[in-house]
Amino acid sequence: MRQHSMVAMILAGGRGSRLLELTNKVAKPAVYFGGKYRIIDFPLSNCANSDINIVGVLTQYESVLLNSYVTQDQRWGLDAKDSGIFVLPPREKSEGFGLYRGTADAITQNIDFLDQYDPEYVLILSGDHIYKMDYDKMLSDHKKNNADITIAVLEVPLKEASRFGIMNADETGRIVEFEEKPKQPKSNLASMGVYIFNWKLLRKMLVDDVKAEKSSHDFGKDIIPGALNSGKRLFTHRFKGYWKDVGTIDSLWEANMDLIYRGSELDLSDPAWKIYTEDITLPSQYIGRNATVKNAYINQGCIVDGHVENSVLFTSCVVEEGAKVIDSVLMPGAIVRKGALVQRVIVADEVEIKENAKVGKPGDGEIELIHRNVHA
Amino acid sequence: MCNALGIINYDDASAYVEGLQDYRPMPSVSFLGRYRLIDFALSNMTNSGIKHVQVYVKSKPRSVFEHLGTGRQYNINSKRGKLHLLSGEEPIHSEIYNHDITAFMQNMQFIEEAKYPYVVIAPSFMVTKIDFNDVMAAHMESGADVTVAYKTIDNAKEAFIGINTLTLDRDKRIVKFEKNQGKFKNRHVSLRMYIMRKNLFIDLVKLAQKTSSMYTLSDIIGDNLNTLNVVGYNHKGYVACINNLDQYFKANMELICRDKASELFDPKWPFHTRTNDSCPTQYSPLADVKFSTIANGCFIEGEVRNSVLGRGVIVKPGAVIENCIVLPGAFIGENAKLKYCIVDKNAKIMHVKELLGTPEDLIYVKRRDTL
Repeated sequence: MRQHSMVAMILAGGRGSRLLELTNKVAKPAVYFGGKYRIIDFPLSNCANSDINIVGVLTQYESVLLNSYVTQDQRWGLDAKDSGIFVLPPREKSEGFGLYRGTADAITQNIDFLDQYDPEYVLILSGDHIYKMDYDKMLSDHKKNNADITIAVLEVPLKEASRFGIMNADETGRIVEFEEKPKQPKSNLASMGVYIFNWKLLRKMLVDDVKAEKSSHDFGKDIIPGALNSGKRLFTHRFKGYWKDVGTIDSLWEANMDLIYRGSELDLSDPAWKIYTEDITLPSQYIGRNATVKNAYINQGCIVDGHVENSVLFTSCVVEEGAKVIDSVLMPGAIVRKGALVQRVIVADEVEIKENAKVGKPGDGEIELIHRNVHA
Repeated sequence: MCNALGIINYDDASAYVEGLQDYRPMPSVSFLGRYRLIDFALSNMTNSGIKHVQVYVKSKPRSVFEHLGTGRQYNINSKRGKLHLLSGEEPIHSEIYNHDITAFMQNMQFIEEAKYPYVVIAPSFMVTKIDFNDVMAAHMESGADVTVAYKTIDNAKEAFIGINTLTLDRDKRIVKFEKNQGKFKNRHVSLRMYIMRKNLFIDLVKLAQKTSSMYTLSDIIGDNLNTLNVVGYNHKGYVACINNLDQYFKANMELICRDKASELFDPKWPFHTRTNDSCPTQYSPLADVKFSTIANGCFIEGEVRNSVLGRGVIVKPGAVIENCIVLPGAFIGENAKLKYCIVDKNAKIMHVKELLGTPEDLIYVKRRDTL
């Protein structure tokens, strides 16, 4: 079998329970984002654009939709003979059912998958972040530093640093200390949950980790600190650009809003770094005679005859005459009937706001998720 | 499931979209922002369960090959199905010999080898939704030798010019083919869609070639109306016959209207095309768009009225676009005013203030042109 220098493994098993009803039936990586995408399109497209040919997707929570979604690997151009996306949910084994007990354990249980490809490097990714990143540049850094492990980091405002895993590095970029959500952060370099490991080393660490009784089998809690303590060469790779963990309704709304202004850091129109997704078979969007559309991000299949302002409309949304959609996100197939007012909310997919109904309120309070039909 | 070989036919001189076709053959002419004309004929075939489709390409095949690829996006199965892109195998010395019969003769082997008893033939320039299973069922029931799909229209003075009109007897048998010269309003017009046994099709092709080296498929069927039982199938849905620039413009414009568009677009009968992975369309605070069809990937800061915008069109502030078709990737610069224009792919309107056409006199801006 041809050797693939770097194989990517995307951790996509989490529920994302703070996304409330949006993740009742689907895992967080399958949640809709940005008018036509799902969150997992971002790491998958990044892999494809970084020339990574083999991608494993580790799923666990409510995985049926996610599994069937990512298996269609032609969507990301990963359907050539020597490439592919492989879904790796927990499986029954001779010693019992192998539920993934942590992020590291998920990889441990798929050592056999990685061994098939015998890569030199393994890229570990999270399936629930929005960003565009060239992993090949990170690999160059990794090789240049002669590193054992490279961790992508992002500068965050110091006052927010205590929400992240913080890397303290020397002037060469070598990591000297790792602190998970420190109360008094010493630096503002936050881990993005993107790691490159030398596969031989990671394989050994994972095999040892299984035997460690106290381990929670987690990259952030066990594997990375363990590697640091044993003197391995851990380096940072500085990432500059847009990166967001859309873990809550508020942050999901905010990240969608970031798309409305061209010139914002998250630009999905760059032909050199496209984000690929499901091929949608629908005609173009229709803007009607009575419509006013200002500051909006709208996908194909939408029918707009009302007022849309500061909003993101996913595939096949309908905004009828006299309806107003302001500061909101309408997920696929959402319908806003005549005279309805929708303000500062996320309307979940296929939800209908009936005639003259009102949802949400102006101001700067929390964003509401509308997941059931609303009557006037 | 149609037990038939699908054939998407050549277009003859009666169908020619001025300007647009200088760069691409009819099948790849852009339509309604995100489609190419062939998407309709090919989706109709695959939605009808036709597994093996031959597409005959007359000239400049690059764009057709690129667009269709293996046909996967049209649901053509990569193992059991086949999308066969065929062009003339031998040089043709004069354009007058470059017609469908020549192409069929040159590729006869592939027609003979196809393991289906029937053929379903359709052109690429008729935009419609048609289930060939219904046509096939009618063909079986009537026991006809050839079934010709037709539409009854009341605007034959303007539309379907140069296309055959049909004279039908009481049993829907076609007794006469006659070219539409635009003299009458109400006519039955041929959709150039035929169903017949494959063997009969092969015989007719060979007969046509023997009769005259300028004969087309519709000529030979017209010649044999007395000897063959040729029956009409009345197709009732929306049909646009895109056989010249005016009709191209008119069809794009009328399909902006929801009522018209819903006659063609049915969620249960999707028209497939090649995805371009464009992001959604962005409207700036300055955007002012009404009554228009907008494809993905556009960035709109100007005014758009009664227009069709293709993928990735950029409209700068102060620009006004009215009654226009703007093809993918075009750039409409600041303060440009466009009326009744067709702007071809990737053209740039930069320092021109006004391009004002009229419904009778459309302005065409060439591909990649910078004005």
